[in-house]
Amino acid sequence: MTKLLQTVDSLLKWFLASLMAGIVLVVCWQVVSRYVLNAPSSVTEELSRALLIWIGMAGAAFAYRTGVHLGLDIITRKLPEKMQRKVSMLLTAAVVLFAIAVMVVGGGNLVTMTYELGQMSAALNIKMAYIYMILPLSGVLIAFYGLCQLYFLASGKAVPAVEGMH
Amino acid sequence: GCKPQQEVTTLRLAHSLDQEHVVHKAMVLMGERLFEYSSGTMQLQIYSGGQLGNERELIELLQIGSLAMTKVSASSVESFVPKMRVFSVPYIFNDNAHLWRVLNGEVGHQLLRELRGVRLYGLGYYDAGSRSFYTTNTEIHTPSDLRGKKFRVLASQTAVRMVEAMGGAATPIDWGELYTALQQGVVDGAENNPPSFYLSRHYELSKYYTLDEHTSVPDVLILSHLVWQGLTVQQQQWLSQAAEDSIRYQREAWQLSSDEALAAVEAAGVRVIYPDKQPFRDAVAPFHQSLEQTDIGPLLERIAQAADTAEVNHD
Amino acid sequence: MEMAIVVLLAVFFILLLFNVPISFCIGLATLATMLISIDFIPAVTTMAQRMASGINSFALLAIPFFVLSGLIMGRGGIAKRLIECAMALVGMLPGGLALVNVVSCMFFGAISGSAVAATSAIGSFMLPEMKKQGYDVNYSAAVTAAAATTGMLIPPSNILIVYAIASGGVSIAALFIAGYLPGFLLGLSLMIVCAGYAKLKGYPVGARLPLKLVVQKVAAAIPSLFMIILVIGGIVSGVFTATEAGAIAVVYSLALAVGIYREVKVSELAAILMKSAETTSIVLALIATSSAMSWILSYEQIPQTISAAMLTLSDNPLLILLMINLILLLVGAFMDMTPAVLIFTPIFLPVAVELGMSPLHFGIMMVLNLSIGLVSPPVGSVLFVSCAIAKTRLEAILRPLLPLYLAMFAVLMLVTYVPAISEWLPTQFGLLSADK
Ligand code: NA
Ligand code: NA
Repeated sequence: MTKLLQTVDSLLKWFLASLMAGIVLVVCWQVVSRYVLNAPSSVTEELSRALLIWIGMAGAAFAYRTGVHLGLDIITRKLPEKMQRKVSMLLTAAVVLFAIAVMVVGGGNLVTMTYELGQMSAALNIKMAYIYMILPLSGVLIAFYGLCQLYFLASGKAVPAVEGMH
Repeated sequence: GCKPQQEVTTLRLAHSLDQEHVVHKAMVLMGERLFEYSSGTMQLQIYSGGQLGNERELIELLQIGSLAMTKVSASSVESFVPKMRVFSVPYIFNDNAHLWRVLNGEVGHQLLRELRGVRLYGLGYYDAGSRSFYTTNTEIHTPSDLRGKKFRVLASQTAVRMVEAMGGAATPIDWGELYTALQQGVVDGAENNPPSFYLSRHYELSKYYTLDEHTSVPDVLILSHLVWQGLTVQQQQWLSQAAEDSIRYQREAWQLSSDEALAAVEAAGVRVIYPDKQPFRDAVAPFHQSLEQTDIGPLLERIAQAADTAEVNHD
Repeated sequence: MEMAIVVLLAVFFILLLFNVPISFCIGLATLATMLISIDFIPAVTTMAQRMASGINSFALLAIPFFVLSGLIMGRGGIAKRLIECAMALVGMLPGGLALVNVVSCMFFGAISGSAVAATSAIGSFMLPEMKKQGYDVNYSAAVTAAAATTGMLIPPSNILIVYAIASGGVSIAALFIAGYLPGFLLGLSLMIVCAGYAKLKGYPVGARLPLKLVVQKVAAAIPSLFMIILVIGGIVSGVFTATEAGAIAVVYSLALAVGIYREVKVSELAAILMKSAETTSIVLALIATSSAMSWILSYEQIPQTISAAMLTLSDNPLLILLMINLILLLVGAFMDMTPAVLIFTPIFLPVAVELGMSPLHFGIMMVLNLSIGLVSPPVGSVLFVSCAIAKTRLEAILRPLLPLYLAMFAVLMLVTYVPAISEWLPTQFGLLSADK
């Protein structure tokens, strides 16, 4: 379990770093194509927005994993330890439910629909389905991380931290 | 009391224009007529100003089924029904009569029917006039004046290729960010119809408006096909009739608001230029030829034929 | 509609109190509300679409860039040079290091878009220094947190970009320039409180440096401060958009940190990219789910209902603005800034405009108000980060924060009722048109 978790972490980290590097290059190219070449690119704007959606969604899974999503800790802290664990499991289940209902089912339906009906993006001229694809993918990742957390909570072990972060 | 409540069908209609726009007023009229025809059993709830999303997203919401109706530019439909891009091809209509002959004729109906393949139902077309260039500090009289200048266009391949065919550089920028882009000189100009040029206040920054009238992209009134199928035949008839009333009203009101907009921008100090359109038509001729062998080739041919059915127009 | 509001608030607060990450609190509350009036499959599909379209914006792209450049500057010796420059300028005044802290946060805020970045970059240098000189650690943490919020108004600012989008077209350039005066005013008010507090506690005063050394320290910070001219100058003069300026800021800070100061190795860049993606994603996830919430609110026509109700309550603009401010302070206590701006702009902006306020002025007021929220319990990202760096508990820094809250509230009232503080500068730059 720990091994699988770390492999997924590592893949996701590198994927995000590449997307970030990519988005900087795309926007820099936009500035260069406009001012230096005087031939503004017609695809950089849409491409960078698509990359931003990918960073936002994939990153949401990563941020959920590293536990840095801003949260509040008033009630759970005051509960007895055993109760705390039960509440944590319930709330983790709620997050998994959200990921599956909205991102996997909703996002998946959006991908299938836009794919079948053939909606094209305006500038890149690719299927919108490819841009939306990150929604169900990220939903699967969040659900996976949530289930891992449930597994560790149930077995009373600490969730392994992400290597190299914090 | 507990009077039996009669079931009221509410159709949610969202669009991206502001409430001052004639199109919004035409929709309000549609709602009134629908209420009247259905004796109060059907009503429209109108969401203006893009509060439920931009045009592409609104069309998607119709496909999803969480929104009933929208009004979008035909250019926004291109991504869903590629043949709609025929309207983004410059200089395919001789005049307004030609445009409406096409929209109300077989070509217009065929394009609306194509919408059903993608879970949409086309109710009809609203007038959106003709689009022309406006610029911040260069006068445009001929296509060669576009050379080396950057123009904001709609996010459409056809729109990009049109500006390039005339010698300019095209860059798609979001409509909401265009005011700043013009102010900052990110682009030298843009193109739109007179009411949009006026209502967006872009005339405060653009001192020249060249009425080359390169494209006439109509607006399309669309219903979710899921919602349409859920209506009874009687309800469909009421809605179609209300839409027809709204379209008739909008066409008259449009011309008036377009003239008013033009007068208002002139009063605000914009120089309106009436160029010779022939050099512009010549500039895009190779572009027209390149489209002959594509899927919209036959449509372009039928549109050209529709021009011959009326008396020859000199402009 | 009443049902929608009840469900939305109930689900949101229950999950919030039980420590569910805020973007999921917003997401689950939205989902529950949507299911009242939309069937399951269209509801979840619509929500997925709203989440994606919430972040499908070119203007928002500036945010990852200003986060990334902020991180590079935090690690690349830039923060250190800014602090030394501030020390040379204000270190000899009463409350020495506390003032240095405030000025450093303002400098850092002027080159970075996020308050959290400023808190961690300045706090991790300043807190140990202040401790050495005998400052109370909770007080130091409180000063850092409050001072870091000045960077929300002093451009570049991520939250002003979010507001530009939420308001539907207020120019980012105008908002950026408008933020300077209120930002300085906020910093100044905090410095006055710090100086007073230092007199009271007898905190040490730094030595006056010889002029030569002052010049040297200021000169060392100039390449860092040049970023202001590059980024803000570029945006205002129209050479590039805010987003492009962000990309330029990344390239410039990289050149500075890797090439000139040589404090970041190329091998560290991957880690910096990952960290920036993580920080960016927290903001983007909040934007995604709050856009969905904002959509369902509009769908249920809740903003119109609230605006109408507010305008019938009173026709005194002074009173309504005060009411809006108090509601926003309450909102800011529980909600992060980004969702608050996205959700409450459509609700309050029409009321403010009806009262004759410009959307630009309203934006500055709202951001200043929610900046107080960043440091007010129970939910405050800057508060959390500051506590983490100081290794102290949230409750402990609230007491020293009290006088700082008062100063911030005073500036909020000034900014609310004196439009010129927000509008004069952008007017001078010709960025404020008749109604934008
Ligand atoms: Na800032
Ligand atoms: Na707060």
